[in-house]
Amino acid sequence: MSEVKKDTAQTGSVQTTGHAWDGDIQEFNNPLPRWWLWAFYATVVFAVVYWFFYPAWPVGDSYTKGGMNSITYKVGDKDVTTHWNTRARLMKDLQEGEEAVKQRQYMQKVVDTSYEQILSDSSMMQFSRSVGKILFTDNCAACHGMGGAGVIGLFPNLVDDDWLWGGKVEQIQTTLTQGRNGFMPAFRKTFTEQQMDDVVEYVLGLSGHEVNKEMAGRGGVLFNGEGGGCYYCHTKEATGMHSVGAANLTDGIWTLADVPGQKTIDAKREAVGKIISNGVNRQMPAWKDRLSPAEIKVLTVYVHELGGGQ
Amino acid sequence: MAHAAASKEQYNYEIIRKFAIMSLVWGILGMSVGVYIALELAYPALNFDIPEITFGRLRPVHTTLVIFGFGGSALFATSYYVVQRTCQTRLFSDGLATFTFWGWQTIIAAGALSYMLGYSQGREYAEFEWPIDILIAVVWIAYLALYVQAIRQRSQPHIYVANWFYLGFILVTAILHIFNNLAMPVGLFTLKSYSAFSGVQDAMTQWWYGHNAVGFFLTAAFLGMMYYFVPKQAGRPVYSYRLSIIHFWALVFLYMWAGAHHLHWTALPDWTSTLAATFSIMLLLPSWGGMINGIMTLSGAWDKLRSDPIMLFMIAALSFYGMSTFEGPLMSLKSVNALSHYTDWTIGHVHSGALGWVALISFGSMYHLIPRLYGTKIYSLKLIYIHFWLATIGIVLYITSMWIAGIGQGLFLRAFDDFGNLKYSFIETVVFLHQPYVWRAIGGMFFVAGVIIMAYNIFRTISQAKREAAELEARIAAKMANA
Repeated sequence: MSEVKKDTAQTGSVQTTGHAWDGDIQEFNNPLPRWWLWAFYATVVFAVVYWFFYPAWPVGDSYTKGGMNSITYKVGDKDVTTHWNTRARLMKDLQEGEEAVKQRQYMQKVVDTSYEQILSDSSMMQFSRSVGKILFTDNCAACHGMGGAGVIGLFPNLVDDDWLWGGKVEQIQTTLTQGRNGFMPAFRKTFTEQQMDDVVEYVLGLSGHEVNKEMAGRGGVLFNGEGGGCYYCHTKEATGMHSVGAANLTDGIWTLADVPGQKTIDAKREAVGKIISNGVNRQMPAWKDRLSPAEIKVLTVYVHELGGGQ
Repeated sequence: MAHAAASKEQYNYEIIRKFAIMSLVWGILGMSVGVYIALELAYPALNFDIPEITFGRLRPVHTTLVIFGFGGSALFATSYYVVQRTCQTRLFSDGLATFTFWGWQTIIAAGALSYMLGYSQGREYAEFEWPIDILIAVVWIAYLALYVQAIRQRSQPHIYVANWFYLGFILVTAILHIFNNLAMPVGLFTLKSYSAFSGVQDAMTQWWYGHNAVGFFLTAAFLGMMYYFVPKQAGRPVYSYRLSIIHFWALVFLYMWAGAHHLHWTALPDWTSTLAATFSIMLLLPSWGGMINGIMTLSGAWDKLRSDPIMLFMIAALSFYGMSTFEGPLMSLKSVNALSHYTDWTIGHVHSGALGWVALISFGSMYHLIPRLYGTKIYSLKLIYIHFWLATIGIVLYITSMWIAGIGQGLFLRAFDDFGNLKYSFIETVVFLHQPYVWRAIGGMFFVAGVIIMAYNIFRTISQAKREAAELEARIAAKMANA
């Protein structure tokens, strides 16, 4: 039926197959549309050409490797040439890809440069911000938030300039590398109810709250004496100690008790009382096994800059 | 019911009515669940921390209800109708047919409930735990027996093309289901089982199943539906008998190889990936064979588009079919897949096939079929028009928003800045998805609204049929009394 014209379906000059089902269903015997057939052949040609260049057909316990399409990449110092495969492609891309090379060069520069120099070099800071943002949002933001503002009572705020474990680059780097265990003992059983109220009063007074002078006085004795021993970590000035992650209680910045969030002084008392009663036991994981030293260095610079590092 | 009584002698229509109605019931349920989980993705708080309605559990409920509940019941209904009418024979066993109905409904309901309770095999589109898998196999073999027997005892010399497609679908689905679900139960009284395959072979088996479920359950079977209802509705012969044979065999042969394109850039061997990509490309024209045959069959009857909304459903279904079978091979190329995989582009692609092709051709066929099953006319043509436009707007919103979401996220994930660093963190690419997700949910609402209107239209059609039958009987009774 090759002589059949295009429009035959309309004109009815094509014959049906002569079968009829369910009363009126018939079939024309139109030939395959030419464009359809040629397009199909074209896809077959495409496939055959593809098979020629890429791994394609299983043969025994191996497969056809494809030709004229080899990949050369480095293993150690040696060049390895192999047929096209996705793993070799990835290796080559990581070794020679435009973006990878650029990033590696910048990273190497960060590794070779001291913190002091990085912090004063605007192009290296730009680079650190750019990698740091991704590293931070992919690794740190789940707890500390996208912008590093933390969650009061749970995860420290990294944006303010108050540092539990110190805000110098070396200290931040240690925090990131080894993680931190924040611990304060629970004083529930140490203090009587009255003593607890007194210590709370003293602590609130430290950051300038209007408090009962008499109670705060008694609380101070407990805080700075052997009764409570709070000064071991928080110091007699109550400005905290970075080496053990003890908070500065005088600056009005709170990471656990949500004092600023409470409207009445009684609610503030309760918030502080809860922390002293229950103690603190929180952890930041160590990142040394998940991030490379170079990544930790960049992240250190990023976090340092986030919160007005020292 | 005089009419029903008359047809009862020739064909088993009762089983078809049951499946047709359940197809609408599961359709509305499954699509509503789809809208709900679309909203959960845009507004996660909507899961209210209730485990049973979290996305992870409702997602297989959605896919199972729409693919197997809605699509499956529509296929049972239309295939039983088509095989009986084109072979001029009655299904050989009413009991076995009824068993396939209750068996299938039990499977769908038990599946959906078990997913909500947290029981899942974790195999995509085959989440049913092993006892349900066994029931599926039994029901499916009963279905195969009914179908083959109907063809064997046909009073027609030739087997109509729609039956090849339906039979291909039934046979292949049996094979896919059995091999994909080979597993060893942990114990007789536990739902947990372990797959017979492991590692990359297991992944490969799953996607051999998954892709051919699309190829045979959602494509070949619905092509069978198309091959009967399109010429019937258009009142014209099928365009090309030859094309139908060639594209049938090409489709059946080529589809089987393509599943691995779901696993590009994974632990899958590279040669497997290449074969999958090239066979997907070669699949394009065989897929289009069905579209060409359908559209060319309609082409002598374009004037009917003005007066027949059912034709609108069919032509739109064929167009979406052509579009998504073009998009599929494109996405199966390794380089395109590197961008599209793990993004919502895939979801959009599936739905352009599922809503655009599967659902629209089913709606068109149901509007043709149901009035005939009840011996009446459709209650309202106008409501069919409204349904058509709601569905079309819904699909367009759905696909467009998923293109934006998928291609957008794909591009964000591979964007680098001047230092060779990734430009966006993962969470930033997710935040971007919120708006397209909202639009997708709105698209889904349009689509569900259309199906609800359809259900109302069908409900009125059936009540009208009952009224007509009662009136007819009253008139006959009156005549008898007068005589």
